[in-house]
Amino acid sequence: MEIIKNPHIDFLGKAKYFIALSLLLIGAGVFWIATGHLRYGVEFSGGTQLVLQFQAAPDTDRIRDAVTTVSPGAVIQTYGDPKANKVLVRISQEAPESDLDAPARAVRQALADTYAENPVTESSSEIVGPLVGAELRQKAILLTGLGLLFQLIYIAWRFKGGVWGASATIAALHDLLVCLAFLAIFHFEITLNVIAALLTLVGYSVNDTIVIFDRARENLLHRRKDSMAKLLNDSLNQTLTRTIISNGTTFLAVLGLFLFGGEVMRGFGFTMVVGIVVGTYSTLFIAVPLVNWWSLRQAPSAKPARAA
Amino acid sequence: MPPALQNPITLWLLLSVALAGLVYAFMRQELRVKAIGYGAFLLACAVAVWPPYERAGTPGKIHLGLDLRGGIHLVLQVVVDDALNATVDDAVATARDQAARKGIQIGPVQRVSPTSFSVEGTEPARVKDMRDLLRDFFRGGWEVRESGEGGFAVEMTDLYHRQLKDQTVQEVIRTLERRVNALGVAEPLIAAQGSRGDQILVQLPGVTDVDQAKRVIKTTAQLSLKLVETSAATRDALLTGTGGRQPDNMEVVSGPGDTPGEPVYYLLRREALITGRDLKNARVGVDENNRPQINFSLNATAADKFSRETGRNINRQLAIVLDGTVYSAPVIQSKLGADNRITGRFTTQEADELSKILKAGALPASLRYLQELTVGASLGRDSIRDGVRASAAAMAFIAIFMLFYYRLSGVNAVVALAANLLILLAAMAYTDATLTLPGIAGIILTVGVGVDTNVLVFERIREELRNGKTVRAAVQNGFDRVWITILDTHATALIAAAFLFQFGTGPIKGFAVTLVIGLVANVFASYFVSKFLFEWVLGKRHYESLSI
Repeated sequence: MEIIKNPHIDFLGKAKYFIALSLLLIGAGVFWIATGHLRYGVEFSGGTQLVLQFQAAPDTDRIRDAVTTVSPGAVIQTYGDPKANKVLVRISQEAPESDLDAPARAVRQALADTYAENPVTESSSEIVGPLVGAELRQKAILLTGLGLLFQLIYIAWRFKGGVWGASATIAALHDLLVCLAFLAIFHFEITLNVIAALLTLVGYSVNDTIVIFDRARENLLHRRKDSMAKLLNDSLNQTLTRTIISNGTTFLAVLGLFLFGGEVMRGFGFTMVVGIVVGTYSTLFIAVPLVNWWSLRQAPSAKPARAA
Repeated sequence: MPPALQNPITLWLLLSVALAGLVYAFMRQELRVKAIGYGAFLLACAVAVWPPYERAGTPGKIHLGLDLRGGIHLVLQVVVDDALNATVDDAVATARDQAARKGIQIGPVQRVSPTSFSVEGTEPARVKDMRDLLRDFFRGGWEVRESGEGGFAVEMTDLYHRQLKDQTVQEVIRTLERRVNALGVAEPLIAAQGSRGDQILVQLPGVTDVDQAKRVIKTTAQLSLKLVETSAATRDALLTGTGGRQPDNMEVVSGPGDTPGEPVYYLLRREALITGRDLKNARVGVDENNRPQINFSLNATAADKFSRETGRNINRQLAIVLDGTVYSAPVIQSKLGADNRITGRFTTQEADELSKILKAGALPASLRYLQELTVGASLGRDSIRDGVRASAAAMAFIAIFMLFYYRLSGVNAVVALAANLLILLAAMAYTDATLTLPGIAGIILTVGVGVDTNVLVFERIREELRNGKTVRAAVQNGFDRVWITILDTHATALIAAAFLFQFGTGPIKGFAVTLVIGLVANVFASYFVSKFLFEWVLGKRHYESLSI
């Protein structure tokens, strides 16, 4: 069984439309993020987040009344499966360095005082002091940047050309930005797990690009007469089935993670789901056309991309 | 299971020998070495990972992270300045005592920063003597500078400062280990972390009483027994006898009085008769009125000193000071020995905790919380259930798809995936790595990457077959051509995973660990094991077609 028999799709010829689409998406994302729509989880913003499990079905309005008297502006929402009787409380006020869990204690006390008939049976909490959050934010940006840089160096070394490294890195950067845009638009918080997903995507996106670059490198060895464009387009088509199957299965696996992986993994799953689609897209329509465009600039006599 | 088989190495050897026998009987000669090598390795993995989870009291080989089993994760900052201040205070006392002993008149000696102190107003005739004295006593680790008009500035060297800082953090870690052990926590993790070197990570898996754990960790437990000069209801009343000024060798400490809400202030000798370091043991007991108290005993040297000093100070009050509060100040009735007690208004639980903390020793510096993460046991259980469900679904789906799409060759891919998972779990068990929730996600991704390797190879074999190659040549070419690609893709993915590692502790590290091990395991399983399976099945016979 085969998905596509001998595909001949002109990827490069349509590249400019896709590049325009990507720029549009990134532009919208940057605008959305710049206007303050990207939300950080407590790990990064500092603060307190509680997950409280109640004995019986919780009445969120009464909980909100109780909590907001001691902690104005707190966010209260049902957590996970409604039948699990869990409620998430996010306290916006800063946790003081000297007594980190004071806001959390106040909230628990307030609930015990005014909502005594339905006691909290178990609680989980995440409390992050302001110092840690800022440190972690810097670290995340630094590590992502370094990860990209080292991948660029590795690819440039393996393919004996900065063009390949730069193209793969630009595509990975593109994926990061598009993912961030999606996270902002769909109101997902940037948590540590999401950062882990983003860093993994950087690896995954580059991974995907390399498979095609590798095929192009192989083709370059014994087809020197063809234009770069034809050669790249052929390489894309030769590996297309693999691209679809590999990314398709991984996509479905992370989709399962997003849908059934539980509340904690939802942000991670979402990032991976978006990332794998975007990563595949950027390999086909960003990374390879970039290599083509670059090589055309190097050798202006070569013909521009046309259908194979 | 017979006892001999309980030993994993014996068990593995036996299994391997059995495998070697089977291989020798049924496999072609040129494949035997590979078969036994790969097989013995996978058997070692299976032995290493068994039993993976806790069963009938035997702990599982796979360690679950806090997010999966519940517990507490704390990041603490050691207030190193506390220890530095104490060291400088000691130095100040030494300077003052030595000057007095040599009969040198000096003005005030004061700590000016956590790492330095100053001496002022040395009598002009003895400035040289004072300089020699300071240079002599503060030779190692300190720098003595003259600041004119009989003044000196003494400052710690950077090296000594760093040493003290490291020592303090290490001592805090050791003390916390003793305290946590007293709490009876299984598999605690207490380690220094962070680039500044003053942060400590404490992970207490399975602990549910967060408040108790935090009290036990945070209590500094600086115990000292000091002689009382006077006591009064207010601070001002206390100092009327000394002209409203606190003498250099005295300090003011308060404590709860007999009537609640009305503290009593005590003027105490700065020098302690006994400190927490002199304790040999501490345990909870009851007093005459059946109220909880803490019994403690002193080591031999301290007991001698204590007995001598109390004999000399009969009828004076002795204050028992714990973390800056006077717990009680009984009158010394007679010469005291090695066994003593602390009474106060304790609950039994407080007395119990306090005695454990005293026994574990004091912290050389106070602690601040930077981060606190607690996971309830049921949330952990939910997470593990969801995680396992999601990964099982993903794997089942992938296996079915591979079998459907690549037919018999799909079996090969499924075997490779199973081997990949087995190696991954074994490596985690062997290195004591922790499985976290993102770690489970890492396993799912590993399966994804594993499939990719299989797909790359299989698609290439199909392509070679389409180009008219024989089955054997197509398989050979498929694996050969794809090798470079697999090398490059795995190397770049490893680069990304290596940077994830730098996030340090917690769930993300668990994710990076599974990703890294998974990537390496995948090269072995999806490439080498898979290639071996092809060679084995294809054999020497001539095939017209391949089920792929």
